[in-house]
Amino acid sequence: MLVHDGRRLGSGTPRHHEVVDFLYAEADVLDRRDHRSWLALLTDDIRYVVPVRVTTAHTLDDSALPDMAHFDEDGYSLRKRVERFETDHAWAEDPPSRTRRFVTNIRCWEGRTPDETHAESNLLLFRSRGDVQEHDLLSGRRTDTLRRTSDGLRLARREVLLDESVLRTQNLAIFL
Amino acid sequence: MLMDLGAVIEDVRRGMIPAVVYSDAEIFELEKRRVFGRTWVFLAHESEIPDPGDYVVRRLVDDSFIVSRDEHGQVRVLFNMCLHRGMQVCRAERGNASHFRCPYHAWTYKNSGELTGVPFHKDAYGGEAGLRRKGVSLLPASRVETYAGLIFASLDPDAPDLGEYLGGFRFYLDFYLGQSEVGAQLSGPQRFRVKANWKIGAENFAGDTYHTPHTHASVVDIDLFSAPKAKKRKEGALYFAGAGGGTTYKLPGTDFRGNLRSIGYPDEMIDRMEATWPEDRRAMVGTAGFMPSAATVLPNLSFVHNWPIVDADGLVVPFISVRQWQPVSATETEVLSWFAVDRLAPDWYKQASYKAYLMCFGSSGMFEQDDVENWTSITQMARGQMAERLNLHNRMGLTRDGTTVTESIDWPAPGRAYVGFGEHNQRALLDLWADLMDAGEMSRATTNGARAARHSTVE
Repeated sequence: MLVHDGRRLGSGTPRHHEVVDFLYAEADVLDRRDHRSWLALLTDDIRYVVPVRVTTAHTLDDSALPDMAHFDEDGYSLRKRVERFETDHAWAEDPPSRTRRFVTNIRCWEGRTPDETHAESNLLLFRSRGDVQEHDLLSGRRTDTLRRTSDGLRLARREVLLDESVLRTQNLAIFL
Repeated sequence: MLMDLGAVIEDVRRGMIPAVVYSDAEIFELEKRRVFGRTWVFLAHESEIPDPGDYVVRRLVDDSFIVSRDEHGQVRVLFNMCLHRGMQVCRAERGNASHFRCPYHAWTYKNSGELTGVPFHKDAYGGEAGLRRKGVSLLPASRVETYAGLIFASLDPDAPDLGEYLGGFRFYLDFYLGQSEVGAQLSGPQRFRVKANWKIGAENFAGDTYHTPHTHASVVDIDLFSAPKAKKRKEGALYFAGAGGGTTYKLPGTDFRGNLRSIGYPDEMIDRMEATWPEDRRAMVGTAGFMPSAATVLPNLSFVHNWPIVDADGLVVPFISVRQWQPVSATETEVLSWFAVDRLAPDWYKQASYKAYLMCFGSSGMFEQDDVENWTSITQMARGQMAERLNLHNRMGLTRDGTTVTESIDWPAPGRAYVGFGEHNQRALLDLWADLMDAGEMSRATTNGARAARHSTVE
C-alpha cells in the first residue's frame, strides 16, 4: 500500500482534472493496444505491481500475499513485454483481445514531493477474445503515483489490488 | 455408458489419443476416483506453513483440506467438513489459528483436527456419554507423506509409500528443491482458471520440447535468452523415471561448475549443490551437460527451471516454478503456480530469480500466456462430434512398427532417456494414466474402512 498523508486535492481543482485527463487518455491508449504510446507515459523508474489476493479470515488487511504478485515490473520487463506483443508470435494476444477500461472514483492527494500526485481509482476491465469464450471482467483498485515532467504527467508507480483471489481470465497478457 | 473406455485406453496405449479424453465429462468422473483417488496428490509445501498454527486450505479435486501445522509441529491434512452437519469449517485460504470453529453451530477443532468444543455438550448430548469428543477428529486424509518439503496426500489407504510411488523421479525433485541441505522455500501461489483439460499442461511439461521453437518463438525474438537457443531444444534429453518425467537442455560445457555458472547460478549456490548432490546428479549437469527444464509427476504436479535475461545489462538468472493443474471440470483447470528458491540463496539472487519467474511463467508469464492459448483451444475443439472421430497423434519418436527412431541414451541418472524430439514422456505419462483408468476404483472394503472413521463420534 502506498503511503499518502498529503493534502487532498478535491475534484474541482486543476491538479485533479489533470489526473483525470491522464487516466482517461492512458485507458484509451491501452484499449487501442498502442503499447508504445503507453510506455511513453511511464517514467524511467516505473514500478508496476499487481499483488496476489487471498481469502483471509476476519479482515482484508492481510489479503495480499507479501511475497508474490501477478506483475512486479520495472521499465526493462515492461519493455520486453511490449516488444513481445510486437513480434509475429505472441499467440496469447493474436488475435488480440478487445478490451475496455472503465476508470472511476478518482481521488487525488499531494504526493511525497511537490512534483508528485497520489491518485486512487477503481478499474473495471472488460476483455473479450475470439467468438467462443465468455468475456472476462477484472475489477480492482489502482493506487498510482503520477510525476510532473517536462513532457507532462507520467506514471511513476502503480499498484493494482485486484478483487479476485483466483483470476477468471486465462492470463494477464494485458496491462491493468 | 456411452463411451467404450476399454477402446479409449487401448488407443491411448498405442499412442493415438482419442480427442475426447480432453473434454469428456464421463472420463473426468472416472479420473476423479481412479486417478486422483488412487495416486499421491500434491497439496502444499512445508515452507508455506513454517510455524505452529499456520495453515493453508487446498483442494484435491472436489475435496477441500486444511493443511495445518499443529502445536507440536506436525503437518496435518484434515478434510474441511464439520463432523456435525457438514459445513466447511475453515473458509479462509491461509492464516494462523490454534482452533477452527464451524460457523454453523460452533463445533470447534484444534489445529490438529481434534474436536475440543461442542456447545451445550452436557445439555444437548448428555456429555461424553452421548457424544464422544475425546479422540474424535476432523477426518484426516487417508495417507499423508512429504518429500523434499512437498506435502502429498492420498485418498487410498492402500497406496504404496510415497517414496515407492515417486520412484526414480525423486532424484529430479531433488534437483529442483534440494539445492542445499535445507532445501527450497515457495512463494505464492498465483491462481488462475483456464478453460483447458488438466492433462494437457501435465503432458506438455513432461516432455514437449517440440513446441518450444514455435509456441515460444516470441521470447526468442525479443532476446529474452542468451543461450541455448530454442532450436537447440532437440539436443536435450527426455528422461522418465518412476511417476514422472521431464525435459533438459544440452549445455555446451562438460564441467559441473561451469555449466551452472553459465546459466547464472552464483558460486556460493554452486558450492552448496556440489556439497549436497550425489555423484550421478553432478554428472547429469556436469560431464553429461543436461540441465533440467520442465517436468511432471503423475498426476498433476509440474516443475520448470529456466534462465532468462532479467535486466538491461544482460544479467542471466535461473528460476524454478512448482505448479499444479487442479481440475475443476473436464474442460476447466485451476493453475496454481509457485516460485521456488533455495532458502540459503543470497537475497539479491532471490529477488532476481523471482523477477525471472514473473517474466516467464505464472499468470502474466510470457511463456505461459502462449501455452494457455493452445491448451484452451485444444479443449474447445475436443468438445464436438467430429472430435469423437479423431485420434490425436502421440507417437513422435516411434516408427510405425513400434521401434524408437533413436536408441535410448547412456544416462547417468535414474530412468531412461532419449535425445531428439519425441513424445516418449507424454506416452509414458499417459500409459500410467491408462493403467490407473484400467485398474478400477478402491475396493468396497476400503470404502467401509472410511465409513468406520465417520462413525467414530458415537462409538
